[in-house]
Amino acid sequence: MSSTRSYARPALPDGGRRLAAFLAALAFFLSTVEYMLPRPVPFMRLGLANLPLLLAVDLLPFGSYIALALVKVVGMSVLTGSLFSYVALFSLAGTLASALVMRGLRALAGPRSLSYVGLCVAGAVSSNLAQVALARVFVFGDSARFMAPAFVGLGLASGLALGAFTQAFASKSAWLAGILSSPSAAGASAGGAE
Amino acid sequence: MPLIRRAGARGGRGGFKVRWLDALIVALSAALFVCLAVSVYGGPPSSVLVITSGGDEWIYQLNQDRVIEVPGLIGVSIVGIHDGEAHIDDSPCANRTCVASQPIRRPGEWAACLPNGVFIRIEGEEIQDEFDAFVR
Repeated sequence: MSSTRSYARPALPDGGRRLAAFLAALAFFLSTVEYMLPRPVPFMRLGLANLPLLLAVDLLPFGSYIALALVKVVGMSVLTGSLFSYVALFSLAGTLASALVMRGLRALAGPRSLSYVGLCVAGAVSSNLAQVALARVFVFGDSARFMAPAFVGLGLASGLALGAFTQAFASKSAWLAGILSSPSAAGASAGGAE
Repeated sequence: MPLIRRAGARGGRGGFKVRWLDALIVALSAALFVCLAVSVYGGPPSSVLVITSGGDEWIYQLNQDRVIEVPGLIGVSIVGIHDGEAHIDDSPCANRTCVASQPIRRPGEWAACLPNGVFIRIEGEEIQDEFDAFVR
C-alpha cells in the first residue's frame, strides 16, 4: 500500500488560506445552483457543493481542509435557512464524516491507485451513513434503518456521478495543473477570483 | 488562466482509467446497499402503517381511510391514509420535502419529516380482514 502514495500536496505560500477561500466561494455558488435544481426523489442531492472539497483533498493542508468543510456547512445552512435548526447538525456530521474519510483514504493511497471516483463514492456513502446513524440516535430510533438502503444507494449513485465529473475536470483543468505544478500559481489563481 | 483546457490541448493528462481501489470502494458500497436492502425489504408482505415520532409509535391498518395528526418536534404533521396508501399531507417544516414525497404502500417503503421528527413506514404481517386480532 505504501508504494501507492507517490505525490505531494503543493506547498502553498499562505498555508492554503486564499485557495480555501476560493474553494469555499465555489462551494457556496454550487450550493445555490443545486438548491435551484428540482429533485427527482426527496432527499436526493447530487452534492455539487462537495466538488471543491473533493479537489481540496489533494490541494490543501489539513487545517485549511477542515476549515473549508466547516465553512461549507455554515454557508449551505445559511442558504437553505437551516443554520439554527438541528438539521444543520446532520449536514455537519455528514460533511465531517465525508471529509475525514476522503482525507484518510488519500493518506493511504495516492492518485495512481485511487481516483476522484473512488474518493467521492466513499465520501458520499460515509456522509449518508453518518446522517442515518445520527437520525437513529436522535430522531427516528430504530425506524431509521428503513432509510439506510435508500441513503446508501443514493450516495453510491451521486458519488459515481460527481466523482466522474470531478475526474474529468481534473484531467483537463489548466487551473488545477497550475496549482499542482507551481506553488506560487495557487495564490495568483485564487486571488484572481476575489 | 482558464479553468478548463480544451480537449486535445497541450499537456493533457490522458483519459480516465479505473483504479483498483475505485473498483473496491464501489463494490463494497454496492454490497452494503444490497445487504441493507435485503434486510429491510426482504420481510413478509404487509399492510400496516407504523408512525414514529418523539419515541412513540402508532400502528394503523392501510385498508381504512383516515387522517392522522402526529405531534412532532416543531408542530403537528398530518398523515393521510387513502386507498391503501399513506402520505404526509402536511407538515410544519420549511422545505416541505416530506409533503412532496410519493405515497407509500409496499413493505419497507418510508417517508419522513426530518425537521419535525416524524417517520412513517410500512411493515408487519399482512392483515386480510378487518380485525387486528382474534381471540377464541
